[in-house]
Amino acid sequence: MFQAGVREYREIYWTPDYQPRETDVLAAFRIIPQPEVSPEEAAAAVAAESSTATWTSVWTDWLTMLDRYQARAYSLEPVPGRPDQYLAYVAYPLELFEEGSVTSMMASITGNVFGFKAIRALRLEDLRIPVALVKTFQGPPTGIQVERDRLNKYGRPLLGATLKPKLGLSPRNYGRACFELLAGGLDFTKDDENITSQPFMRWGDRYQFVMEAVHKAEQQTGERKGHYLNVTAPDCEQMLERAEFARQLGSPIIMHDFLVGGFAAHTTLARWCRRNGMLLHVHRALHAVVDRQKDHGIHFRVLAKWLRLAGGDHLHTGTVVGKLEGDRATTLGIVDLLREDFVAADRSRGIYFDQDWAALPAVLPAASGGIHVWHMPALVDIFGDDAVFQFGGGSAGHPQGSRAGATANRVALEACVQARNEGRNLAADGPQILKEAAARSPELAAALDTWREIRFDFETIDTLDVVQS
Amino acid sequence: MMLETFSYLPDMSAQQLAGQISSILSRRLMVGIEYSDAPDPYDHYWTMWKLPLFGTVDADTVLAELDSCRREHPEAFIKINGYDRVRQGQVVSFVAAKPERGT
Repeated sequence: MFQAGVREYREIYWTPDYQPRETDVLAAFRIIPQPEVSPEEAAAAVAAESSTATWTSVWTDWLTMLDRYQARAYSLEPVPGRPDQYLAYVAYPLELFEEGSVTSMMASITGNVFGFKAIRALRLEDLRIPVALVKTFQGPPTGIQVERDRLNKYGRPLLGATLKPKLGLSPRNYGRACFELLAGGLDFTKDDENITSQPFMRWGDRYQFVMEAVHKAEQQTGERKGHYLNVTAPDCEQMLERAEFARQLGSPIIMHDFLVGGFAAHTTLARWCRRNGMLLHVHRALHAVVDRQKDHGIHFRVLAKWLRLAGGDHLHTGTVVGKLEGDRATTLGIVDLLREDFVAADRSRGIYFDQDWAALPAVLPAASGGIHVWHMPALVDIFGDDAVFQFGGGSAGHPQGSRAGATANRVALEACVQARNEGRNLAADGPQILKEAAARSPELAAALDTWREIRFDFETIDTLDVVQS
Repeated sequence: MMLETFSYLPDMSAQQLAGQISSILSRRLMVGIEYSDAPDPYDHYWTMWKLPLFGTVDADTVLAELDSCRREHPEAFIKINGYDRVRQGQVVSFVAAKPERGT
């Protein structure tokens, strides 16, 4: 018989004996409960409010078998050094989610529960997406191997650059900047994330001048080139219109701000790219709003997993070197989640669950921001071949201009790859390898003089706390 | 005209070439040799020089095949590929010889 009233969540949603099923979606949450709320009740509340429960019993609960649909908090552990924090593991039955839908996962797992009053702060640290759900997604339109095959680029990382200044160039000047970089030896140039269709450079004009630059650079160098044409638009119709024009002009690649545009728009675009044989470069503008605070929000590894499901061929992940030094282990964990077919749980890299991608195509990580030729040995050493390095200022800031800057980066890259393949240690011999290459390349010599030498001592790096990320 | 990976570096010495080939073999990749008189970045299918060298484990064998190909096709660009059976694709490719008519 129906009994109205409020019950403690933990009576139903805290199930420490539960053995997660292979088909469950598993979530790891960092929870800060309100002071008067027990960790079990807080964990149960998260499971409840992100699945079947509301704040009070309702008679319609009795029309269904809630235990078939309810999420379950099944494990809880304190966070070392943070007495107010707990890690809670929650299992969601597969049936709660729509097939092929990141928005469905977001609305459930990262929905209202993040504003729930019994919890002071909540962060989604990781998500295990079961193979049964992975197989309902298209994933990256192209994948790393087919991108390499299509563009005929093997055995080395790819090189790109974001055009600067990011705002204010006319379409023709912008195309000129693009041409100089590509002719100098880069594989790609890139629109900045906030280049859409402003009055100083409408998208159609930009696309035409840029594609003339791409085609001319291909003729001049005999190598495949591309420019990430940003199709981020005010609405989906215009997004697809821009993508279609890029295709008509012969562009091999377009670009989208996936978080700004939203997962529904992005998934539409990724499917369009698959149908049209188009590479999709993905920028993560907005991510730090969601993922930067340690106590509350969604960790970037979850956003990256969702992106691999929704579809993207390149995704910005940070450079590891330079400003992101402290996040090395975390970033490399995310790089694995983008590139590998199976990633084992490894708390020292912030990975809470095994993740089997079940042959979903892989995503090329893009390292961008504040990097220059002196970083090249470290970048090649850390990322290996399957990455794209974006040298914006590090190309156009060369004393002899963009073309020489691009050549300097290309020479540095190839010298590092050659040396690595010969068995030399890039971490230890990086500066020497660059100096040797510079003896045969005036462009590289000038670049090395312009930017200060950085250290390549990898052993002074902070290690990730096994629990904190 | 540039020819992708390593084309921005000086031509390799015989010893450097052997180093790159050894690297391919030590990764347990299979080596294949292809040649073309007219490289084109949109052309994926250069002519194969024999079948991929299945089972070859020493760089000297590869270098000897490269030399044979060069003698028979002095006007050709010749590239060395490394095939990865797991990834089911090429993961290494670079031009190892260019036409002798002054490059």
